[in-house]
Amino acid sequence: MKLKTKLTLFNAISKLVIVVLFVLLVPALIKNISHSYVDNNLIKQKNKLLQIVKTQGIKNYIPDGEKDGSYYLPLKEEYLTIEEDTIPNHFIDTIKNEKRRVERDTIEYRILSHTFTLNNQHYLLEIGKSVATLDETSTPLQNIALAVLIGMILLTILADVVYTNHVLKPLGLIIKTKLIGRKFPNFGLYREVKTSTSDFQYLDISIHKMTEAIEAAFQKEREFISNASHELMTPISILQSKIENMFEREDIVDEFKVRLLEMQKILNRLKSITKTLLLISQIENEQFLKEDKISIKELLQEVYDEISVRLPEKNLTFDIYVPEDTVLVNVNKFLIFNLFFNLVNNAIKYNNEDGEIIIAAEKDNNTLVVNITDTGIGISPEEIPFIFNRFKKFRQSMQQDSFGLGLPIVKSIADFHNIIMEVHSEKNVGSNFRLIFPTDLIA
Amino acid sequence: MNVLIIEDEEALAHELEIFLTNHNYITEICYTGRSASEKIATNLYDFILIDLGLPDYEGLDLLKEAKKNNPDAACLILTARAEVYDRVRGLDLGADDYLPKPFSLLELQSRMQAILRRKFGLKQNIVELGDFLVNLTDRVITCHEDAVNTITKKEFDLIAYLILHKNRTLTRTQLSEHIWGSIINDDYDSNYIDAHIKNIRKKLNVYAPPDWLETVRGLGYKIKINA
Repeated sequence: MKLKTKLTLFNAISKLVIVVLFVLLVPALIKNISHSYVDNNLIKQKNKLLQIVKTQGIKNYIPDGEKDGSYYLPLKEEYLTIEEDTIPNHFIDTIKNEKRRVERDTIEYRILSHTFTLNNQHYLLEIGKSVATLDETSTPLQNIALAVLIGMILLTILADVVYTNHVLKPLGLIIKTKLIGRKFPNFGLYREVKTSTSDFQYLDISIHKMTEAIEAAFQKEREFISNASHELMTPISILQSKIENMFEREDIVDEFKVRLLEMQKILNRLKSITKTLLLISQIENEQFLKEDKISIKELLQEVYDEISVRLPEKNLTFDIYVPEDTVLVNVNKFLIFNLFFNLVNNAIKYNNEDGEIIIAAEKDNNTLVVNITDTGIGISPEEIPFIFNRFKKFRQSMQQDSFGLGLPIVKSIADFHNIIMEVHSEKNVGSNFRLIFPTDLIA
Repeated sequence: MNVLIIEDEEALAHELEIFLTNHNYITEICYTGRSASEKIATNLYDFILIDLGLPDYEGLDLLKEAKKNNPDAACLILTARAEVYDRVRGLDLGADDYLPKPFSLLELQSRMQAILRRKFGLKQNIVELGDFLVNLTDRVITCHEDAVNTITKKEFDLIAYLILHKNRTLTRTQLSEHIWGSIINDDYDSNYIDAHIKNIRKKLNVYAPPDWLETVRGLGYKIKINA
């Protein structure tokens, strides 16, 4: 997930959680507030009433001859009673919720109870406010709070998105221009990403410094290869010419000619190894263009033409099952040819008498899968991880004239083209090399 | 034929001189780019062999000078530099061929012959071998008017290479370098040349015995053509 998305999501979720918590708390809060407000009110009313009773006497509330007096608002949301308290030594002064039966209804009230003495007479005063009226106000309040808060949250989320977008823009630019699609080792010019965020400035300059270092290393390596090849190839060239010139002289006896021939063979071995190592280095340094367009069927036919002379020795059969119209693009023909040549060459070299080699290609989900299967001696599971290592030879018992660079070439060519290679093999049954060509190599 | 050899490696220049002199070329050697530049400006050559890796001169500059002052000369680039783009640049600048070191002297001769044929040889290049006629231009072999069309491209390449170096024993190494030289693989000893020769003999034998294709015991093969 992108950093921007993560930040926005976190902001939105955290704010939502806070709002939901708040909205859930609103009823309790409102209840609390309104209770204390009501309680205050009740106490004020009580004090006022006591004041009236003090100055004007109890008659105002308890008509003469009666023991108590009750007063209700028409809808019974409030009431007031004063009665003579007959319980001796009964003093209370409380506010609590209680139910009262008024006419036929039972209503819950917030009730202030207070006892006082006037003219040696004990009185009990009750002032009540219906609880329902209190709750009625809390629901609309809750709704309003919710609406206002959601509106505010949407506004802040919008502001967050706009701001994170703005702040993270340089990061996106760094990723897009400096990391994605960057082709090693061709980096191009350094272009500074404009930003006032120091972290991004640091990141940008660090990436730049690192690419510079890599570029320098690549350049060094390239120079090394160029120089090393010059230094190695020139002496080989001199020796080869000397041997060839000597071989041509008529005054040299056959015995010496045979020895010259042996020298030529050994020199050729040295030459092959050097050329192969250089090729691998050149591939790894991306010194090849990938601009060719080739029909895979024609290419395999060319491989067959080169190599078919090696088949009769072991009486091998060789079959190619490839769709006619499969064309590879953005590849290097020379390298792809060498990739197949080496795989087929191995399939021949390590095959058994009357064996089989099958190359089958098929399109699979926009990729092209090519299987090269042989009925040869196979590779044991513990050897498979190492078969691509340079100069690693397992099948020495075969006494083959090879130096263990065939598969490393194949591997570096496959990597260079982003071709995935899978090896399946069973000892004494055969090997299967599966090449998966990515979509961008298929026309 | 005058050949200018520009090569700073004296031992190699010397071997080139021996080889080309044996094959009736008149050679001159320059070990430095500067002296080569002077020679190119004053003398006319048929072939100029340029080593790109000269210590005192940019080899491709010499190529430009050669194209200017010696427009008729065929220029061959010999180089040990592994730069892939060198080849493209060299051919773009008008080099007639490009031979990476290390190369076989036979290969050099074969390339020089090919250039000569391209430059002057409009006439059909037909060689008579016993009952066979080998047309090197159209790459066909006939036997008493019958076309031998079973011969593959590789097999013809082998025959043509042996004809070019006629009456000389070519080793298996030299032959396989010629026909598989551009392929990079990890076989350093190709006895598959024997299989090719066997096939060629079998295919030709259908028409007439190819006695001219000789096996030189323990050394290699040769095609014998009496002057």
